[in-house]
Amino acid sequence: MDNLNWLVKEIEKLKRNSPYPSARSLIMPALWIVEKHFPEILPEHMEVIAKILGVKPVEVEEIARFYAMFHTKKKGKYVVRVCTNLSCMLNGGESILQAICDHFGVKPGETTKDGLFTIEEAECMGLCNGAPAMTVNETRFTNLTPQKAIAVLEEFKRKENGKDNPQER
Amino acid sequence: MEKIILRNVSRENSHRIEVYLKHGGYQAFRKVLKEMSPQDVIDEIKRSGLRGRGGAGFPTGLKWEFAAADFKEPKYFICNADEGEPCTFKDRLIIEKDPHAIIEGMLIGAYATGCSIGYIYLRGEYPIGKKILLQAIEETRNKGFLGKNILGSDFSFDIFIHSGAGAYICGEETALIESLEGKRGEPRIKPPFPVNAGFMWKPTVVNNVETLANIPVIIERGADWYSSIGSPDCPGPKLYSVSGKVKKPGVYELPMGTLLEEIIFEHAGGIKENRKLKAVFPGGASSSVLTSEEISVKMDFPSLAKAGTMLGSGAVMVLDETDCIVKAALRLSMFFRHESCGKCAPCREGTDWIVRILNRIEKGVGSEDDLETLLTVAEAMENSFCGLGMAAHNPVSSTVRKFKDEYLKHISLKRCPFKE
Repeated sequence: MDNLNWLVKEIEKLKRNSPYPSARSLIMPALWIVEKHFPEILPEHMEVIAKILGVKPVEVEEIARFYAMFHTKKKGKYVVRVCTNLSCMLNGGESILQAICDHFGVKPGETTKDGLFTIEEAECMGLCNGAPAMTVNETRFTNLTPQKAIAVLEEFKRKENGKDNPQER
Repeated sequence: MEKIILRNVSRENSHRIEVYLKHGGYQAFRKVLKEMSPQDVIDEIKRSGLRGRGGAGFPTGLKWEFAAADFKEPKYFICNADEGEPCTFKDRLIIEKDPHAIIEGMLIGAYATGCSIGYIYLRGEYPIGKKILLQAIEETRNKGFLGKNILGSDFSFDIFIHSGAGAYICGEETALIESLEGKRGEPRIKPPFPVNAGFMWKPTVVNNVETLANIPVIIERGADWYSSIGSPDCPGPKLYSVSGKVKKPGVYELPMGTLLEEIIFEHAGGIKENRKLKAVFPGGASSSVLTSEEISVKMDFPSLAKAGTMLGSGAVMVLDETDCIVKAALRLSMFFRHESCGKCAPCREGTDWIVRILNRIEKGVGSEDDLETLLTVAEAMENSFCGLGMAAHNPVSSTVRKFKDEYLKHISLKRCPFKE
């Protein structure tokens, strides 16, 4: 509930500082707040947004479902986007996706059991001069090989585990 | 060649306003504000011959003139930074390295057309660019170039960023406007055009990032100088994003109309491991393929249209002799299937049908009839509601025509000949 109260305050702030003539334009910025701070966009989040912006809940939900970067299913702490569009594919993007999925025992679109990574097959992210490329949340990794990609993610995992383990701090 | 669009990108901290100002930044805007009427600016841009760099190639000055002529208020000025055409990354370079060129271009355009509010519609996949743009806008406000009564004039204008969230279709200007209004990114019927009825049904200019980066230089150095660069009927410098199987993938600034052959072999260093060039998509995922015999073509809007393909965003995607053309067409078709907004049947059903057929051909279970079906589906897709569907079949229909033998080989061998 605390989290929901926090969201209410954030959306109200968004509405106060709106640069748009219509509140409906704030649906996407509002959903971005949920996307960044919650594991998934839930119906209660959408209701909060709808209520404050004065729009119908369905108008929020259709946006949450139309745009690929919004997660209405629970995602991991890190969203790993592996590009397999043409230039990345020509340079081995598919084998990187395959290697990561095999390494963590998941299929594209799934989240690792520890909740750390959601592995996604991505469309072009404009990193083609460094193909094959992937992003981990907002960090970019380019000119990858399957081994390098796995090492990158293992490094994220090591750091996370370190945080949980007081002896390693 | 002297760098014009990329004039600033190699400087240290080129994204900061102090660096931009030090090298003549915002001088063009000052000149416009002090010495030129809105009509003067429009005339100068018209005379320069600048055509939109987002893909459609519409004359920028004309677009501005239409918006300026409309009397409805307020008017909106939108920068289309939704760079989503696969293998296009030129706008990202400008966004990250020269954001003030975009802002200055928007300021000049807004002044010329009478717009009071600006939005940068930035694709969700560019979070780093977002931080840089936010900082740049803040710096510009602090210097007094954005806000009310800019530099003591009657002109007021401010810019805000709107983040997309992963939808290729939002690069189409009317879908972009729908998205900005908080709706699903589905295109509108045209006419009316955005210049008369765009965002909130008010006059709206939508210009691409690269287009805007050209504006300050045209004002600074004049239309005559600008129109002497590149092709006479399509002048100016152009950014080409080159990727795939080239030795040096990257963004190359060259005069509009540079030969494709030169771009691939001189600037991008030729084909990786000195293999043979097989095919090129010269203008992004929605362009028709060119074979290795067809690359002595000028890379501009009219020349590529004559060659049966298009310049689009200028994304040059290069395949070598070891790459499977069916696989390439399949991957691009999967992209379009994913990105079709679903509004109209030819695109929604056509992209899915094409993917299913290509999938079976690539897996070795296709038939010769499938090739005929592909072309029939492609023809039907020409009746799509917007450009996405109309162009989505291009990589398929063009490869079926130009690489028919390779398709047939998949069918007769019952496997992909490029797989062991």
